[in-house]
Amino acid sequence: MAATSRTRLVNPRLGTYFGIFAAAFVALALMALMLEQLGVSERALRYLMFAGPIVLYGAIGLLSPTREVNDFFACGRRVPAFFNGLVLAVTALGGVGFLALTGVFFAIGFDALCIGLGLCAGLVFMGVLLAPFLRKFGAYTIPSYLGRRFENRTLRFVAAVVLAVPLLLLLAAEVRLAAYAATWLTGQSEGLMAVVTMACVSAMVIGGGMRSQTWSGSAKAIVALVALVVPATIVALMVSSLPLPQMTHGNTLRVLTRLEGLRGLPDLSASVLTFDLPGAGLEPLARRFIQAFGSVGSLAFVLTALMTAAGVAASPVLLSRPGSTPSVHETRKSLGWAVLIVAVVLLTLPAVAIYLRLMLAEQVIGHPADRLPAWFLSLQKSAIARLDGAGPTVTFDNVSFDRDAVLFSLSFAAGFPQAFVYLALAGAFAAGLAALAAGLMGCSALLSEDIVHGLRAEVPPDGLRVGSARVAAVGVAVATAWLAVAAPADPLKLFFWSLSFSAAAAFPVLILSVWWKRTNAWGAIAGLLTGLGVTASTIFLSETGAWTMPSALAGALGLPAGLAAAIITSLLTPAPSRNIVNILQEIRVPGGETLYDRELRLLRLRSRAPS
Amino acid sequence: MIEWSERKAYWRNTKVQMLTTLLPFLLALIVLPLYAEVLNDKRVLGIALGYFLACHGLLIIAFVTMAVFVNRQDAIDRWHGAHEDI
Repeated sequence: MAATSRTRLVNPRLGTYFGIFAAAFVALALMALMLEQLGVSERALRYLMFAGPIVLYGAIGLLSPTREVNDFFACGRRVPAFFNGLVLAVTALGGVGFLALTGVFFAIGFDALCIGLGLCAGLVFMGVLLAPFLRKFGAYTIPSYLGRRFENRTLRFVAAVVLAVPLLLLLAAEVRLAAYAATWLTGQSEGLMAVVTMACVSAMVIGGGMRSQTWSGSAKAIVALVALVVPATIVALMVSSLPLPQMTHGNTLRVLTRLEGLRGLPDLSASVLTFDLPGAGLEPLARRFIQAFGSVGSLAFVLTALMTAAGVAASPVLLSRPGSTPSVHETRKSLGWAVLIVAVVLLTLPAVAIYLRLMLAEQVIGHPADRLPAWFLSLQKSAIARLDGAGPTVTFDNVSFDRDAVLFSLSFAAGFPQAFVYLALAGAFAAGLAALAAGLMGCSALLSEDIVHGLRAEVPPDGLRVGSARVAAVGVAVATAWLAVAAPADPLKLFFWSLSFSAAAAFPVLILSVWWKRTNAWGAIAGLLTGLGVTASTIFLSETGAWTMPSALAGALGLPAGLAAAIITSLLTPAPSRNIVNILQEIRVPGGETLYDRELRLLRLRSRAPS
Repeated sequence: MIEWSERKAYWRNTKVQMLTTLLPFLLALIVLPLYAEVLNDKRVLGIALGYFLACHGLLIIAFVTMAVFVNRQDAIDRWHGAHEDI
């Protein structure tokens, strides 16, 4: 047991520090507003809102360097519940949750809830089923947890290879969206911005690993939340006289529904397994916001929500976070905070979509095509909106919108100063950076801890572990930037594939490793490989057109297959030894020393003892 | 530190707590959106009831579920002496 009480490890001034950071960011946004009124060029303002926050996060990341293994991989286990929850929530949402999900709400309305509810439910599942136990074990990565929990190094290696798949897919999705936001801010090409983004992210992570990632991630989370909530609140005040978009957008929805009926937007219904999400790029507004199951059928809705929940609960990006809290109780509390923050964001996103739809229905649809409002013309000019085949008056059929641009288009449509548009973009970029930093940290830890050092019996010295993780981080950053330039795919689809893989491969094995005593290493290996195989082949068949099953839902098939394989193989092979069951019994009880820390402490004592 | 004889009772309580937390939540997560279309004709606070329950309702249920779980599980830990000594 450590000599000092664990609560004393928490820095009591964190609130002050991040208060100062939030004030600095708000000052930056206000300065941009003032400079805009003073007539400073648009280009200078864009670069100010792009580089200003990056300098702040970069400073936080670079000023928290460390050479200690526990600091580098678990932030010294001293992140209080609120900050852990904050980073967890924004990492879970990421650029996909802010940019793409708002666009999906805008395009298909109610049906987009399947993704949002899945994200929120995933955090509940994680908090109840997995996170407290992983915190008690205290391993830095999921493969190293599985390897030590079942005392099997082959399993550790297999898990590392399997879990690298969802990690890389998530990185590829997030880098595309972060580069997209950065492109809007700087006006440079998306490929160049992907490289710049990954360079910034790796600079933020390399110095202090998890420590840098946690504290710069908290700063990014604050920026993302401020940038989302401020424009939405001002619009709510304009539309409904109450500064609570989360609670008042329902009334606006009633007005919108009536208008959509008047303007002739159809009420479509889909078959139960239809899964028709808007792709990247310009998409038409096909149906009414309020109508359920028009683009995503009822069965597909439930499957998506459950698969997203399982994918988030077992996501290797998020599951390295519980290890950084001071105690098991704090881990549970941090998941509570994460659920609260995600819920607030998920109530704000539909509000943004509804307000923009309302402005579109009121000011564009039903009006003569040659007398459209200035904001719509400027959206058209920047290729965010398109009007094709319009007759004398514009109808819903003529208008299509860029899915990922909806979040910051609201400020255009509401007639706000340009600084608000840049604020929204900086927020979305921050969310993307937070998810990228977490993914990069997760992937580099996996690569160095489990693949490079994983097959050796002895633990390598601290300096080597930290050094190789830093090298791995640079390697993963280069690979991600290359992936973004070489294989530009729809980020939302990549995000769903990533969730499919973590739901199918990781979720069943992780759940069984805590909740079923009979699971053994063979069962775990079989579960991981079957989940991966079934999901990969479903995605392949679906993408080649051989099967009509939507590839985004591949995890819904992989999960039961992985679960069945893990259970059957465990039952067919010998029961786990007494020693392995003892480890499980220790994980299940919150009290006592963290297992991994104890192991490292004993190893250190042994190496110091005279032989 | 927890006694060996307490471990079985502690784990039984934890399992029951897990099920009572997740099963109602899972049920709500699956059932509420399915009835959204039907309930949208009714209104509460000016919001279509189906949308209100599926969006606001489920998110609030998720947060309340998590908050209750944290407190209940902490109480179970303390009752069996399985809590951390901080």
